[in-house]
Formats: sequence, structure tokens, C-alpha cells
Amino acid sequence: MAAKPMDLMQGTLDVLILRTLAWNAMHGYAVSRWIRERTDGTLEIEDAPLYKALHRLEHTGCVDAEWGLSENNRRARYYSLTARGRKQLKAEESAWRRYAAAVFEVLEPA
Amino acid sequence: MRRLFRFPWRRARDIRADVDAELRFHIDARTEALIAGGLAADTARAQATREFGDVDDARRYINALDRDTEAARRRRDYMDDLRQDITYALRKLRTSPAFTITAVVTLALGIGANTAIFSVVNGVLLRPLPFPHAEQLVRIWSANKGANSLQVPASVLDVDDWRAQRQKLADIGAYFYQDGASGVDLTGAGDPQRISAAFVTPGFFTTLGVGALEGRVPNEGEMARGGNDRVAMLSHGFWVRQFGGQRSVVGSKIILGGEPYQVLGVMPPSFTFPDRSVELWIPYSSIPDDAIPHIRPVRVLGAFARMKPGVTLAEAQAEMNLIAGRLARQYPDDDGSYAAATVMSLQESITGKVRTGLLVLLGAVVFVLLMACVNVANLLLARASVREREITVRLALGAGRGRVVRQLLTESVILALAGGVAGLLVARGGVAALLVLSAGQLPRGQDVRIDGTVLAFALGLSVVTGLVFGLVPALRASSPRLQGALREGGRGMAGSAGYRLRNGLVIAQVALAAMLAVGAGLMTKSLVRLLNVDAGFRPDHLVAVMFTISTSRHPNYTQFYHEVIEKVRTVPGVIAAGAVRDAPFRGSGESSGFLLPGMTLKPGEQRLGATFMFISDGYFNTIGAPMIAGREFAPEDRPGGIVPVVVNAALAKKYFPGQTAVGKTLLFGGQVSAQAGAQIVGVVGDIRQSAMDEPAAPTIYVNNLFNSRVKTTLVARTQGDALATARAMRSAIWSLDRDQPITAIFTFDDVVSGAVARPRLLTVLLGVFGVLGLVLGSLGIYGVLAYLVNQRQRAIGVRIALGASPGGVSRMIVRRGLTLTAAGAVIGLAGALALGRFLSGVLFGVQPSDPLTFVGMTAVLIGVAAVASWLPARRAGRVDPVVALRGD
Repeated sequence: MAAKPMDLMQGTLDVLILRTLAWNAMHGYAVSRWIRERTDGTLEIEDAPLYKALHRLEHTGCVDAEWGLSENNRRARYYSLTARGRKQLKAEESAWRRYAAAVFEVLEPA
Repeated sequence: MRRLFRFPWRRARDIRADVDAELRFHIDARTEALIAGGLAADTARAQATREFGDVDDARRYINALDRDTEAARRRRDYMDDLRQDITYALRKLRTSPAFTITAVVTLALGIGANTAIFSVVNGVLLRPLPFPHAEQLVRIWSANKGANSLQVPASVLDVDDWRAQRQKLADIGAYFYQDGASGVDLTGAGDPQRISAAFVTPGFFTTLGVGALEGRVPNEGEMARGGNDRVAMLSHGFWVRQFGGQRSVVGSKIILGGEPYQVLGVMPPSFTFPDRSVELWIPYSSIPDDAIPHIRPVRVLGAFARMKPGVTLAEAQAEMNLIAGRLARQYPDDDGSYAAATVMSLQESITGKVRTGLLVLLGAVVFVLLMACVNVANLLLARASVREREITVRLALGAGRGRVVRQLLTESVILALAGGVAGLLVARGGVAALLVLSAGQLPRGQDVRIDGTVLAFALGLSVVTGLVFGLVPALRASSPRLQGALREGGRGMAGSAGYRLRNGLVIAQVALAAMLAVGAGLMTKSLVRLLNVDAGFRPDHLVAVMFTISTSRHPNYTQFYHEVIEKVRTVPGVIAAGAVRDAPFRGSGESSGFLLPGMTLKPGEQRLGATFMFISDGYFNTIGAPMIAGREFAPEDRPGGIVPVVVNAALAKKYFPGQTAVGKTLLFGGQVSAQAGAQIVGVVGDIRQSAMDEPAAPTIYVNNLFNSRVKTTLVARTQGDALATARAMRSAIWSLDRDQPITAIFTFDDVVSGAVARPRLLTVLLGVFGVLGLVLGSLGIYGVLAYLVNQRQRAIGVRIALGASPGGVSRMIVRRGLTLTAAGAVIGLAGALALGRFLSGVLFGVQPSDPLTFVGMTAVLIGVAAVASWLPARRAGRVDPVVALRGD
């Protein structure tokens, strides 16, 4: 893995968030940590755009938000996937896979 | 997505707090994690903040976004609720069809009647006239302030001078048109026909700003006086009827009154000025001088003008006064009395006469709708007691009071909209019936139709109606106090508060019914007064044949005039015959002035005003007008020597009070000496000439042999079938001149009936609304008492079991009904007294506060209320105590 983190491509953050919420509801901090851990620091993710994306997804109806209590008993805003979000994730995931496959197709030695 | 539970809506403040809390939680959590990893507290917080990025920017962005999200959610929730309310309301209404149908029919009548009257008001009063910038158009009259004649037609020479001297007026036009009287004879195209024509001055078309449909309108030169090449414009209807709508007729010649006229063009179908019946527009200059002399004292033109943009009515009025004053000084003999002018908006001049009547009808019909609202509100209240359980359950399950009210209001608005749709059908029929009833009485009747404005009115009215009748029952049904009573097993709407409310509604309804009844009563009495007016002649068995003598075919037309009269007197069935220029209610004569011997006019002084009528010998005897003194004209009166005139009682009383008028001398025009003047030979009783409700003006009757007019109304008193005799009279005229066109044939019974048609129409409509009001009011009383008897069966049963007589119980119920009626009647009569001044404009011979009408209508109201109370009262008297006590 390259040591220098890569810039995030436009629209990538949304699909990462949707994927992260696919298993269970999480608050914003957990989403942030989970993505960082999964990508092992490969992607340079700031929290500000992450929160913007979360609220944008709420606006488009892909996620729902409600207040709950966190592990250490503090009020946190939990996000969960809606039916529309699930559909959106499915669509974007397959688009990403096709995209990546196409790129690999080119990069792989013949 | 539909939620089972709705999150409470967040306000902007809540959103800000949420965003702050969320971001703070993130920074705190990250800081704690870093401290746990071994960092110092301040270093940890700094790193957490750095990792986050631009916090302020994120906060701003999220705040704005969340406000949008929240608004969208609010809209979605609202629409969801509405859809839910509508579905629920429809289901509820379907389950009680009797209630729904009663309510919808009641509302349909109310909304339909309102929509019908409104479409008339809209077409006649609100919609602008069909001319470009119609608001700039004004009507102009000469005004003789001394004689208090403020709306005198204009003379053609004055109109020319007005036009030449105008500054704030863009243009001035005028027309000579008399319904059924002004026209020309069309020959050379089938049978000779009398064509209704308007004779127009050069500014006529340019002032109105309407161009030709085919061809073109005449230019200044073709309009000018003395132009040899005569021209004519055709109406669209005449063009289609006579010439089959062929374009080739434009530019061709037609023969009118024996002279060739070039057809310049055809006007569009919407152009019906000054009247719908006009078929031709001909330059006024085409009228020969011996038919209508082109001199200042002859005032026969309807004048109008277009104000320049930005000029106000007051400025136009000031300018016209200035010009009229100038002309009065310049021509003291002719215009001295007419030093002023009256200017009025053209629309008002056309519709002003019916304005008050229409507004009174609109007011009455709003009352009817209010009564319908009260009735439906009463139905809803009765229904609310049935629905108490349902509403209690919804409140108990946590629905807010506002939410329940909204649900109930949705139901009433749906009811009202259904009523509105059905009401449109009622309105369509109503408008058609109104137009038939008001034929010829309603200016701009052709503009009355159900259009977008009317539809919008009906829609708005339905929604407002739904809210009006729904609000009180909805608030009541969801009242927490009431719900508390329910839980304790009380009877809810059957409680005393419920009765008070329903009693209040009934009182309001009776008050409205009282006002409607008084209005209808006053109108009826006014009509009876009008019908009993002594018009000054006996209309029965009186017929008229109208024609205009052609001066080209009969150069010596007074001779022809008298030949016709003599001939008609020999027709079998004719008892007496005579002639007049303007029959009563078919024209108001010519207004002019005269002097008494010895009078000299100082500058600025005006001649004595009088109306001039041109009649034959035997006219008064024919129409049955009594001579008060002296004699009427006789066949022996012949030109030469002293000119005999007859005056009416009004003139004799005004100018010769306490004296014998017969034998007195009047001076006309240029006459200066008593020897050359006219001598009064008789005084005739006053004959109502211009309208049934207008007393006769001082009138001078001139013998047609001495001073004549070509327009002739031949009048005959007949025995047997009047119209058959009239046809024989027409044949007699044709035996003298086969080509003499006949303008009209009518009976005086029809004329008199036409003269009261408008007040009669208003009376009929107000009467209908009054009866509707009584029916709705008695239904209200009946409903409340019947409900009371139903709810109080047990109490009534106890009373009867304890020995009260059924009659006593019945009387108690009737008394309750009459108490409500009396309360409502008192309020209603006070209201009628207050509103009376609006009626005074349409009443004749009756004060708006006429005590007899008020007493009579109160009696009717109480009688109707007694009947409405008696039915439930009888049922109360028949309550079987055993059944009543066992039940419940």
C-alpha cells in the first residue's frame, strides 16, 4: 500500500457511508472510525465532508436519523439505512464493481 | 415512506441545537479516544479538531440542509394527513347517505343561487365593456341646471363644437338611436323593410376604438355633414341575415330611404353599441334637415367621449362644463340654459339603472346561503352527538384537538365542494331562467355567462361555505370540556350548552328569514303601488302602429299623416284614433323651452323648460286621458291665425298656479309678441311618459298640423280583438301607400306591463328568496324541536306519567319554538330596519321602514314558525310514558 493517502473521488463517500450503515445503525463518529479502519488510512477522509454527506443522504431520504444513547451513555445522533438507501447502495455498488472491473481490465497485463 | 408515528417537527432553533450537539459529540468522542491512546488532553482536542476539518463550514452547510429537509418533511406529512382526512371523510359521508344528500342539496341551492346571481353581476357590472380601454369611455349629457334636467341629449352642433374645443378628451362621438323608432327603409332587396339604424357623428368609431370586421369604418370626410357620397356600416347580424355573409357586399350599393348608400364595411359581432338591435350605422349627416333640423335646440344625440390616458372623470367633467359654459355665452338663445354638462362613466350609464337591484339581489342570495349554512351546521351538530364515541377514541389515542378539528373541517369542505359542483348545475339553470325572465330589461344581458371568474367564485364560495358551517360544530365536537362530560357518561350534545348553541343558530336563521321576508314584502308592496299608479290613460283595448313617413315619397307629409288617421278611423273595430310622436313609455318627447309674454331674458337666464309632444286631433280622447279644462285639438284647427296648444296639469300648476291656464299665451323660439304666440286651448290630465315611477314633466302638446315630426305612432281604441284591428289598420295604411314600412305594432297593455317589468322581476326574485328563507327557517325550527323531543322522550314521559296533559306538553314545545322565533324576529326586524336604506333605491311609494310590512311579515314568520313547531309538539304529546321510561 502506498504511504501517501489518496484523495477521495467525487461521490465515493456516499457509497462508503451507505455500505457502512448496511449492517446496523451508527452515529457519525462510529461511521468515521469504521471507514478509516476498513481502508487502513489509504483514503484521506476528513470528518466535515462526512457529516455533510450524512445530512445530504438524510435530505434525499436514503438514511433516517434519530437521537439515541452511545456506548458511553451520551446522546448521539444515530443514522440508519432506509429502503431507498438500501436500493441506492445496491445500484452504486454494482456500478462501482463494473467500473473497477473495467479499470482492472485495462491495467492487467494481457 | 409512511411512518407509524410522526416525529415532532423541529424549528430552526431545534435544528441548530441538534447540529451543535452532534458535532460536539464527535469531537468529544475522538478526543477521549486519543487521550486513551496516551495523548495529553489539549493536544488530543487539537488533533480531533484538525482531523474534523472546517467545523464552521460544516455547521453552516448542515444547518441549511436540515432546514430544507424539515420543510419537505412537513409538506409531506401535511399532504399525507390531507389524503388520510379525505379518504376518511369520504368513507364517513358514504356511510350516512341521508345526511350527505340533505346537506349537499341544501348547499347546492345556496351556492347555486349565489353563483347564478353573481354571474349576472359579473357580466353586467364587473366585466368591462367590450371596447379597448373601456375605463376611459364616458357618457356626456347637456345639463340644464335651472330646470334640474341634468341628463339632456346633446344637439349635433354642440357635439361638433365640443369635439373642436376638447383638450383632455381624446375624442368625442355621438349617435341618434331610438329603440324601434330610428331606422331607414331598405328597398330594392326583396320586400321593403324597416332597418333599425343608429345615425352617428364623425367621432363615433374613433372614440370607441373598434375597427371593422370586413372593409373599413368611414373616415372623417365620409362622415362629414354635407357629404354627397352616402356610406353605411352593417352589423354582423344584418350582414349574415340579409346578405348571407358575402364579402362582395362590401363596396356595393344598397338603397336606403330611396337613396343609394355605399357599404363600407361590416362591424364585428361583439359590436352592439349603442344597442343590440342596431343593424346599420349611418353618418348623422345623412338625415335630411326637414326630418331632424340641424339646429342647436334639437337635442337628440347620445354623446360619449374617450378621456386621454391619465385624465380623471373630474377633469373631464370640468372641461365639459367649461366648453358648455363657453357655448352658452356664445349662443345665449339656443344654449343659454345649457351652461353645464353631466359626465359619467359609460359603463355606469349603461348599467346604473339595474345596479341597485342587482346588489340587493346579491345581498338577499347571500342571506339564503347563510341560512343554508346554519341548516347544515345544525345537521352536523346533531350528527356530532352520534360521532362522539369515535371522536373521543381519537382524542384518547393522542390525536391533537387541532388534528380532529382539521379532520372535521375537511369533511365539511368536501360536503361544500360537492354542494358547489351540484350548485353549478343549479346556477346554469338559474342563469338561463334569469335571462329569459329579464329579457329586454337587463342591459348587457348578452355578457352574462358562467366563465372562469364565475367558476372561481363558486369554488371560493364553496370552500368558505364549508369552513363557515363546519367550524362551530368541529370546535364543539372536539371541545375538551365536552369530552370530559362524555367520560362521565353524560349526554354530550344533549347537554344544555349544546341546546344553547343550536338555539342560537336557529335564532340567527329566523333573523335572516325575517330580513328576507321584509325585503320581499317591501318589494311586493312597492310593485302593487306601481301597478296602481294612474298612468293618466286607459291602456285596455288600445293598440298602436308605428311608422316613419318618408319625406322623399311624401314631400307634403303632414297631409299624408292626416289622410292615414282619417282612413284608420273608418276601419271596422276602431272606436277612436289619433297619433302621437312618442307613445307613453316608448319615448319621452323633445325637451325645449318657452317664454311667457312680457318676459325678457337677461344674459345667463334660461327659458322655461318643458317637454314637447307632437299629437293629432283626438289623441287624448283615444287614449282615454281626461281634459281638465278647455278642449283638445279638433279637425277644424288649421294653420293660420293663433296656434293652439294643450298643456298638461303639471305645466299649468307650475307656471300658472291658481290661475286659469286656458287662454294664456306661450312664446316659442323667435316669437316675441303675444299675437304671434301659441294659445293654450286646453289642459289635459298628467300622462306618465318616460317611466311608471316618474311623475309627468311639464309638457306642451303641439298640433302636428302646425309643427310636425315624421315619426308617427298611430293609436286606436278598439272593440274586439285589438291585434286583429291593428292588422286592419296596417292594411289601411298600405291602401294609401303600398311601400310604407311599419316599424312596430303593439298593445298598450304590453307597454304598461313592460314599464313595470324590471320591478316585477326584482319582486319575483326577492319573493323566491323570501319563500326559500321561510322554508329554510322553518326547517331549522322543526329540526331543533324534533331533536329536543327525541332526546327528552324520557323527561316528557315522566311529565305525562305525573299527570301533565298531552296538550300541555305540546304547548310547552310550541312555546319553545315561538320563543326562539320571537328572539330571531326581533333581531331580524332590527336588521331589516338598518338595511332598509339599501332598498330605498328600488322602492316606489313605500318607505323602507313601512310599519305595515314589518307587522305583516312578522305575522307570516310567526305563523310559519307555529306550524314548524306544531309537528314535533304533536309527537311530544303522543309520547307513551311506559315506552319512554322503559327505553334508555
